[in-house]
Amino acid sequence: MNLEKLLYEAYGYTEFRPGQKQVIEQVLAGRDVLALLPTGMGKSLCYQLPGKVLPGAIVIVSPLLSLMQDQVTQLKKMGEKSVIAINSFMKPEDRERAWNTLGNYKFIFVAPEMLVQPYVLGKLKSLGISLLVADEAHCISQWGFDFRPDYLRIAEILPKLGNPQTLALTATATDKVTDEIKRYLKLSDPFVYSHPMDRKNISYDIRKFDNDSDKLEELLNLVSTYAGPGIIYAGTRRKSQELAECILALGIRAAFYHGGMEQQDRIFVQQQFANKELEWVCATNAFGMGVHIPDIRHVIHFQLPSSIEGYVQEVGRAGRDSLPSLATLLYAAGDERLVESLIMDDLPERHEIELIYERGEEAKQLIEQGMVRETAYRIISYWRERLPLEGTLNQIEQLKKEKQRQAASVRGLVHSSGCIRQYISMSFNQENPAIPANCCSFHGIDHSLFKGNRSEPKASTQGSWKERLKVLLPI
Amino acid sequence: MRFDEVVLAIMKAVDGQRTVSSPYHLIKGKKSGQTIQDIGYFGLHPYFAVLPKLDKQEYLASIDRLQAQGYLIPDDNSVQLHRSAFDLEIPPTLLNGWKYRGNENRFFARLSLVVQTMSNFMQGQKRFDPVVTDETVQAWAKAYLKRVDFRSSAVQEAFKNQLETSLAKAKTTETHKNILVERLSGYGVGGLTWDQLAMQHGVLPIDVKIAAVEAMHAWLDVLEGMEYPLLAGMLEGIIQQSALTESAKRTQNLSERGFSLKQIAELRQLKTSTIEDHFVEMAMNDPAFSSAPFMDEQLFQSIHHISKELKTMRLRDIKERLPEASYFQIRLALAMRGGVT
Repeated sequence: MNLEKLLYEAYGYTEFRPGQKQVIEQVLAGRDVLALLPTGMGKSLCYQLPGKVLPGAIVIVSPLLSLMQDQVTQLKKMGEKSVIAINSFMKPEDRERAWNTLGNYKFIFVAPEMLVQPYVLGKLKSLGISLLVADEAHCISQWGFDFRPDYLRIAEILPKLGNPQTLALTATATDKVTDEIKRYLKLSDPFVYSHPMDRKNISYDIRKFDNDSDKLEELLNLVSTYAGPGIIYAGTRRKSQELAECILALGIRAAFYHGGMEQQDRIFVQQQFANKELEWVCATNAFGMGVHIPDIRHVIHFQLPSSIEGYVQEVGRAGRDSLPSLATLLYAAGDERLVESLIMDDLPERHEIELIYERGEEAKQLIEQGMVRETAYRIISYWRERLPLEGTLNQIEQLKKEKQRQAASVRGLVHSSGCIRQYISMSFNQENPAIPANCCSFHGIDHSLFKGNRSEPKASTQGSWKERLKVLLPI
Repeated sequence: MRFDEVVLAIMKAVDGQRTVSSPYHLIKGKKSGQTIQDIGYFGLHPYFAVLPKLDKQEYLASIDRLQAQGYLIPDDNSVQLHRSAFDLEIPPTLLNGWKYRGNENRFFARLSLVVQTMSNFMQGQKRFDPVVTDETVQAWAKAYLKRVDFRSSAVQEAFKNQLETSLAKAKTTETHKNILVERLSGYGVGGLTWDQLAMQHGVLPIDVKIAAVEAMHAWLDVLEGMEYPLLAGMLEGIIQQSALTESAKRTQNLSERGFSLKQIAELRQLKTSTIEDHFVEMAMNDPAFSSAPFMDEQLFQSIHHISKELKTMRLRDIKERLPEASYFQIRLALAMRGGVT
């Protein structure tokens, strides 16, 4: 089969991006595949194109509602009409309709928590699944930085679906995580495609300061010197807001973005950023998904990331156009304390675990009563079905150790003296990468490369509503 | 109108009689018996459901401000306003919450998608990320665009003209209109967030939210006149068309203006029993209908209880067990079926 021809006929592209072809070939050859492709490398094409050839449905399990919505939007944008997403937030009547017409769809997105419902399983079973896709497969590993217990349920339903051919996709996974993905998804003799994590066009810069005010001054200096587009990752919602205010005060176009904003406002910020109405977005790690901007020149971390995997994912949003881009990590003495407290805050505590075990089925009320946090509840209620109290306590202890290891490796990123690129590759057990020009602050960077030109905002929309209407509807 | 003024306007009406959280429920549009009943009792129709997504923290922040300014006296049981609050002039409101009940947001979501689509197509862009992710709204907009033949430049021009002339006619300030239109997106232009609007207008985010609702209500009043067919087409299901007969509707209007059943009968020169029929009709059709003016809660519950116990809707059977209830009261209670939720 001529895959290039198929690609062109289906979506109008003339060539594949690195890795896509190898993965698709193996999928079409009927093998289980585990593909590690960096963000922005077009992971979804790896199941989209096979969907044009395979006879049955493609079922995609996607861990996050927002991610699922984004993927559906992108698929539809590419002209794919046979797409549906089923999740627990749907109105019952919509879901009912979806189930009844399921056979009409080629691409079916399902949230992992829905998979275990016998009714759902029955429907999927009767469908004839050609390919099961586990998107963001690293979420299945409790050693991953983004563990979602619900994801383990995929493993439980696979035999019930007759062990369909499986494609596991992730942007980021260490060896340990890769092993777990293979084991849980029962991938038999899988073809593993691992794209080098290394992004040659990204230069890594780490700048250290004695105190917070110097660090802030440097940030303001950076945003004044360089033109965007750039993302500034702040550790907390409040911080993202503060930083945006500081930058706006300099007369530079910036906005903040975090998960606490209403969805419409989040979409507005994404649009403004894509339209170049903004140079900088100060954000929590909630920003990224659904942002499809090829020319992001800067990713600045104002606070330490909570894991190397997360760091690589965030940095990877820069320079998808392959042009030189700068990843700057700003560090002030003592910053690791904030990260460590954030990481540990996420973990269930002993008293929460005990409470949930005590209450059994009614444990959910503990969230409303403010006795147990929702994230903790999610993790514990999964384990409660499977392990006695001691076992779960032990699991969480292991998890804590893993988180500490991740925090230590982030500390290492800042404090080890040496090549940053090599340090990152080493964290993923990958071979030492070649050292490109402008590799990192250890090897030296020519900062003038990243200057960029400050773009002027398009036609002013600051005037009256009538003027804005003229800009919106120029007829 | 600032958000704090909305809260104060409600508090002035319920001062000393309701809890500090009652304005919160009203603004959010809670459909409880108490809230619905209070709307009638205190004439709070404008404020019902004006911010269905109001966050408790945002409301409490307003309470803090009102206390700090001395308008509200801290009290655990009920709203206790200071004299100064009554001296404060609150501008007449443009809000019409009872009529639109949060549906204005559905209208605006449709409008946002339609404007975004036309804006992109006008400028040669056929693929874009929709600004509204709700699939029901997307499906609606798609059908609407197809129906009006939005690719035709004559339609695009008419749409823009109708949009501009109708909004110009809305009885609200230019600032209100600016805020509302700044929430629209198009090709190369993103809508502004509440925080951005607040900063631009030097007010709180919650104040621009209220301003947008005021602007929408004023605009919808114009659109309802049906002089702007392309925009009126977007009102489908937004304004609840009354299911009442003409005569019952007239009774309803008088009732909403505060006239009692007897007064309405006199005014309209009709028999009391006819007006009673109207109320029963209203009770059947309006989920927010309150039985409070006609019977107390206990009697209402008893009627339902007995109806359930005897598994009957027959008036006489219920009347036998509850001689103190009038036939009208029983009819009314039964008409409300599930009763006040």
